[in-house]
Amino acid sequence: MRLELGFIPIHDVQFADTSRVEDGVLYVNAEDIKALVLKDEHISSVEVELARPGESVRITPVKDVVEPRVKVDGPGGMFPGTVSRVKTVGQGRTHVLKGAAVVTTGKIVGFQEGIIDMSGAGAQYTPFSKTQNVVLILRPQDGLSAHEHEVAVRLAGLKAAMYLGELARELVPETIETYETLPLLEGLKQHGDLPRVGYVQMLQSQGLLHDTYVYGVDAKKILPTILYPTEVMDGAIISGNCVSACDKNPTYVHQNNPIVHELYARHGKDFNFCAMIITNENVYLADKVRSSDWTAKLCEFLGLEGVIVSEEGFGNPDTDLMMNSRKISEKGIKAVLLTDEYAGRDGSSQSLADAHVSADAVVSAGNANQVITLPGMDRVIGSEAYVGIIAGGWDKNKMEDGTIMVEIQAITGATSEVGFGYLSAR
Amino acid sequence: MVKEIERAGIPVVHICTVTPISLTVGANRIVPAVAIPHPLGNPALTMAEEKALRRKIILTALKALSTDITEQTVFDVE
Repeated sequence: MRLELGFIPIHDVQFADTSRVEDGVLYVNAEDIKALVLKDEHISSVEVELARPGESVRITPVKDVVEPRVKVDGPGGMFPGTVSRVKTVGQGRTHVLKGAAVVTTGKIVGFQEGIIDMSGAGAQYTPFSKTQNVVLILRPQDGLSAHEHEVAVRLAGLKAAMYLGELARELVPETIETYETLPLLEGLKQHGDLPRVGYVQMLQSQGLLHDTYVYGVDAKKILPTILYPTEVMDGAIISGNCVSACDKNPTYVHQNNPIVHELYARHGKDFNFCAMIITNENVYLADKVRSSDWTAKLCEFLGLEGVIVSEEGFGNPDTDLMMNSRKISEKGIKAVLLTDEYAGRDGSSQSLADAHVSADAVVSAGNANQVITLPGMDRVIGSEAYVGIIAGGWDKNKMEDGTIMVEIQAITGATSEVGFGYLSAR
Repeated sequence: MVKEIERAGIPVVHICTVTPISLTVGANRIVPAVAIPHPLGNPALTMAEEKALRRKIILTALKALSTDITEQTVFDVE
């Protein structure tokens, strides 16, 4: 499967009467987006605001971040099975408004939502301080359940991103990158002398607003399966998560998964990146056992010699991570694990809820319990009313001078377990 | 807590969903629970079925408590 990504760089965003892209500026007609979003009867009102890098702006509570993309050639459309009709994607040509993002906020859906600061200390911790953000402030109809509210906000973000992505359809990309994965046997013929490497992505699927969707299927109901890695670039996996902001994968991160991109960069040179395996993190032990069994079985079946495993979230999924580590290792396959840590504010506590001796090559994306002081901002998009109750905040964490103290757990993408962040030991 | 109570000489059964963590942290008698959000219940069942399920888990735990063991043991609910 072969996919070309055509990148149209965006370095500014402005309101205008007509939505369009000109000279790297994304012009947005807010009324068009409002009309699109309000077609959903579950949404009672929506406001559109813009947030640019360097501005004294805080967006909170952040639910999801989505990148505007459009399929210009090849089967299917963006977010298949959720917004576009279900169809296997990942081939042909896709255009990307690189540098732009849709961010959803408004009345909080679940208590684990995030903060994006566009400047100041907090901006150093979130990758979305560097994007030109079109922010939707969504208000649900009264009486909606939390789950209905989550669906409505999720779909609103995806639809707005598709609307903006559509503006890139006729544009000439500044750069084009090509990604190709051959069917397994053909790939082995072409790269027969190279080590066979795979990527195991664990998807958050604990339920209770901790959900991920694969081609529209709730990930807690999947058995581990195989994807061509280009499928995720076309929105095959989307976030329905209100899990801790620092280490969940917003839809944007699924579209731009750095592990996939890094593996492609060395594919055919240092190793043969054979396939991507997705698995889940369920709350029943039987599911954990079954999914880790199947993950190891697929690694073995594909003849992999080494895999990278990324976790999403923390706590009981640490056990899924360790079960995957143990079972993959027992097949004689090397595994490197990517996770983050909840090691207490001083970093001296146990980092993960579970451990296993096979986990001997682990990359940490940072300590989510680290405390940071965020300066007051001139403008808040959404509401600061929730900064004391979101995960990583605490009661009365807003000081009289307007500063806010939080654990970096509360900052969207701060300890991304797929490495889509800035924290580094270097 | 399991380990501290046992240290005082009182045997403990740990009823929990994620038994691998219980094994990692060193509980000796472990009984698997239903699911993390509802360890001793199951909203998919009727009230009568759920009560029967609870009874089974508790009886398994009582059996575990009165069983001599020489190593960490998971007692499956039958």
